[in-house]
Formats: sequence, structure tokens, C-alpha cells
Amino acid sequence: MRTITFDIDRFDGTRSWTQSYSFEYDPALTVLASLILLKEKQDPTLNFTASCRSAICGSCAVRVNGNAVLACDTRLDTVLTQWQSDTLRISPIGNFHVLSDLVVDWSEKVERLRTAKPGLKAKAEFNAETGCRQSPAEFALIQKQWDCILCGSCASECNKLTDNDRDFLEPFVFTHANRYAQDSRSADGLLHVKEMVKQGLWKCLHCMECVTKCPKQIAPAADIAAMRAMAFAAGNTEGKGPRHAEAFRTDLENSGRLNEVRLVPRTEGLVDAATGRMGFTLRMLKHGKLSTREAVELFVTDNKPIEGIEGLRKIIRYRRDAK
Amino acid sequence: MTRKYAFFPGCVLNAAAREAREATEAVAAHIGLELVEIPGWSCCGASQIQDIEHDTALAANARNLALAEKMGLDVLTACSTCALMLRTARQELAAGRKDEVNKALATADLEYKGTADVTHILWLLADTVAQWGPLVKKPLKDVKVASFYGCHTVRPPTVMTHESHLNPQSMETIITACGATPVHIPERLKCCGFHAVFPAEQTALRLTANAADDAKKGGADCLLTPCPLCQMQLDMYQPDAQAAVGKGGDTPVLHLTQLVGLALGIGREKLGLTRHIISPESLLAKC
Repeated sequence: MRTITFDIDRFDGTRSWTQSYSFEYDPALTVLASLILLKEKQDPTLNFTASCRSAICGSCAVRVNGNAVLACDTRLDTVLTQWQSDTLRISPIGNFHVLSDLVVDWSEKVERLRTAKPGLKAKAEFNAETGCRQSPAEFALIQKQWDCILCGSCASECNKLTDNDRDFLEPFVFTHANRYAQDSRSADGLLHVKEMVKQGLWKCLHCMECVTKCPKQIAPAADIAAMRAMAFAAGNTEGKGPRHAEAFRTDLENSGRLNEVRLVPRTEGLVDAATGRMGFTLRMLKHGKLSTREAVELFVTDNKPIEGIEGLRKIIRYRRDAK
Repeated sequence: MTRKYAFFPGCVLNAAAREAREATEAVAAHIGLELVEIPGWSCCGASQIQDIEHDTALAANARNLALAEKMGLDVLTACSTCALMLRTARQELAAGRKDEVNKALATADLEYKGTADVTHILWLLADTVAQWGPLVKKPLKDVKVASFYGCHTVRPPTVMTHESHLNPQSMETIITACGATPVHIPERLKCCGFHAVFPAEQTALRLTANAADDAKKGGADCLLTPCPLCQMQLDMYQPDAQAAVGKGGDTPVLHLTQLVGLALGIGREKLGLTRHIISPESLLAKC
């Protein structure tokens, strides 16, 4: 008989411990079905949340070996194969306050979700008679974001949140903000974007954990990018994040490649870069990352344009004009 | 093993991470891999341009790929973010954007067809261990190495499809082939913070300190990464991270090809090992 072991992280409100449960392998089991089996047959005190068992309600996300999955939508065989082991560690999703065993608290998250100003404020031309019409193409821009089931998986391994959640939000909040920001029926899509700028829109690390973990194949990182683009296009170009991105964009058009020497002053401002980064700069020069002559040349004269720069500029201009 | 690739170095391999280019080219030449630099390649957007002018970045990468196609070769990069940006562009072009982007490329007499694949030097080295492994002249038997994959090497797995994003083994395969001992650290799949080092500096410094400290606590002689951006963050900013967080500060961080080069017996002067902020001397003494 093949035996599967779940080492489950437990918490009773005051005490934390890891408890091992073993059960007979069955290829028909999902992770959730395994947990239900354990609760019914071995330990009725084991707590977890689940409802629809159909990947719709979003209540059963847990971590398997440190990575969030929707338990009802994850076959046991899949994770056993992924980890090449018959012993798995099951934990509550990360970046949430734990209430009991695998049960996490959503109350704070709901409050944070409110910062996205969820809800559609429709354009003035819409009324009760004509409704809020939207073309299929317009709906396609926000269709995926509406698939969010608020399971929390995208937040579980977000590297930024894990480090500090005081100046950043859960990826699903950005997704919710963007689905209103991009909605063709919105009277003021920027309303949601401006709030997200205040809440750390430019602090995303691009770690791609949210995109990887979403069981509905939503890409919160793409929602963050879309709102950055929207903010930027609306003239919100101040701040280190926008200035950093803008430096890359103009370097591409000017020479085709990044000018690393100009990047820091362009991002932080000449004075801040000269004072705050002096130690860093001296270190770079001392260890030969860049010669002094090279640094001065790059700062003053820029990179030599790439072969075919005129062609690249034509391509960029064509794309921009097409928009 | 003679294979030929269109080489996409990416911006940093031409500047602050020049040693990664030197090591990549030295290793390639040693194992019979021919790298032909794509003439006129441009910045991949580095996930920065994508965030403010998505279509500009898409068109620039379509151009990069079209240039490689003209060479009749697949693309090889030694940067995980370049690999992700190029592969993402390929997917997007294949998913219905090709015709409209080709109208833009036509203004420069270029056409994107979708014939060139994009691979990473990490994947190529891991897949060809059987061919270059016998060339290892100086097995690094006393060296313990903690791998640091870098986010864009494995995520998102729908684009970076080479191996499991949860339990990748390519780095460990290469470390073992070099005769060194892999050290598994909890931070190996975490973010280094590079892409937000300015807007989220304190977070980036903490992540850097965590990785450096983790490797040290695990008994590793160095961190090893296949991404030059991770290497730059973990090496160049490690003193700042140490000052801000109070840990790390003396963990050498090697580029993947530097380690392979050492094992192959390539002269240290060809691997750019003097261009590190955190001196790798303690590690080199064991090689």
C-alpha cells in the first residue's frame, strides 16, 4: 500500500505545531479531498475552509510545500509528481493572518480591497433605458480580471508583500482596480489608478509569483503594468518608478540600448544621485565595474547608436502613431 | 558539440556585467558553442518599457527576433529578463499580434516570421552536461555553491517552460557537473529586488541581505546565479544591504558561466573575476 503523508501546519489561536497525517494513496484524490478525508476519518479538529469544490468560490487555497494552490482544483498526483515525494507540507496561504490551522482572516484584506474603489461609476451618457452597453472587444479587455475568485493565492508568495505589506497591496487588489480602470463604461478609470499609485503601484518587484500562482490564469502583474501605463500616459510621470521606466524608453529610442551611467541620476535626480549614491559609484569604479573615463564618456556623450537605429526609430514611431 | 546561436547579450553584458559576457564567450568557445552576436540588437525593455509603452517594447523585441531570423539561427541569451521579454514577445506575436507588428517592422524592411526560438545559456548548459562534462579539468570538489535562480529564469512557467518552476534542478545539475557541491537554501527561488531597487529600495536591500545571509548560514562559499541582473543586485548592492539590514556583506556572487569556466580550467583573467564588489578570493582559494 502506498502511503501519503501530509505534514500540516496547525494553529489553535495560541499554539503552533506541525502534525503528520498518513493516508492511503488514491489517484482520484485532490488536495482538498485529501484534507476532507483526514477531517472525516482521522481528526475532526483539523480546520480548513472549502465550499464549492469546483474552483469557483475561492475559499480553499492552501500552500503545498510553500506554494499556494487552490486545493479543490489541484490533483494530489500533480503535487506528488511536482515534488517527487509522498510527503507534503500543507500550510495556510502566506501573507495572511492565520485564524486556525489552514483558515486565514479575510477581514483586513477586504478593507484593503476597498482602496481600489471597486464598483463602476458609469459614464454620464448611460441611463436606465439604454443601460451600459459594451462591445465584445471592450469587454475582452476586462473579461479575465472578472474571473478573480478572491482565493488569495496571488498574495501568498508575493515577494513584496512578504517583505513589507505596509507600502504595497495584495495583487488581487490591483487586478480589481484595473478591471474598473480599463472598463469602457467607466466615467473615470483614472480614479482607480490614482488610488493604486498611492498604494505602491510602482513598488511591484516583477517577481511574477502572482501570475504563476493564480488558479484562474489572471496576470495581476499585467494589471499593475496596465495601470502604470495609464498613469504615465495621463502625465503622472513623477517618482522614481516612472522616471526609471522613462529612462529605459528614451534610451531605446535614442541609441537603442540602456545608458547605465545616466540611469541613476535620471531616476533619482542629479542631486540625490550625486549625494546618496556617491559610495556606490566609488565602489563601482574601484572594482572596475566601469572605468572613470568610460563613465564620463557615457554620461556626456551617451551610447553609440546601434546599427539600424533609424529603422528602430521608424518602427517605434509607426507603432506610436498607430495608437 | 558544435552549435551555433544568434547571441543576444542584453544591455548589462555590455556594461556593468561585462564579466558575464567575457565568461559566457570564454565558456562557449571552450565547449564548441558558436555565438554570433545579433547585429543591431536593441534593449529588450527590461520589463520597464513594457510597463509604460507595451507596444513599443513588443515592436522592439519583434525587431530583435526578426534580426535573428535573418541569421537563420535560434537566439541564445545569458540574461533571464532578456529571455523572458523575448519569449513573452514571441508568445504575444504568435497569439495574434504578428500581422500588425509586421506593418511596423516593414518600415525598416524587416519581417517577423516566428522561426527563431529563444533559449537561455542555463538551459543549454544543463541539457548538454553529457557533452561538456568530460571537459571539466579542475573539478571544484571543495566548493559549496548555493544556487539563486532569479524570478525570470523560472516564472511565469507558461513562458519559461524549460523546467519545473517549483523545483528546478538545472543549476544543481551544472554545479554537480563542475564537481562542486550544491547547497539548497530557502532563498533560491526568491526575488533579488533588482527591478524595484529605486522605487522599493528598502525591500530590495532586505531581499539582497536575506539571500547573502542565507547562503552563508547554509555553509556555501558563494551564491551562483544565471541572471546578470540578480548578480548585479546581490553583488553591487550587498554592502548597502549589509549597512541597512545588518547581515550579509561578504558572500561572493558568481555568474553561472564563471563557475563553469573555473571548472573547465579557463584562465581566471578570462572570466572577469576581478570585477566583483564582494571579493571571490576565499572561493578561488578552494578552486
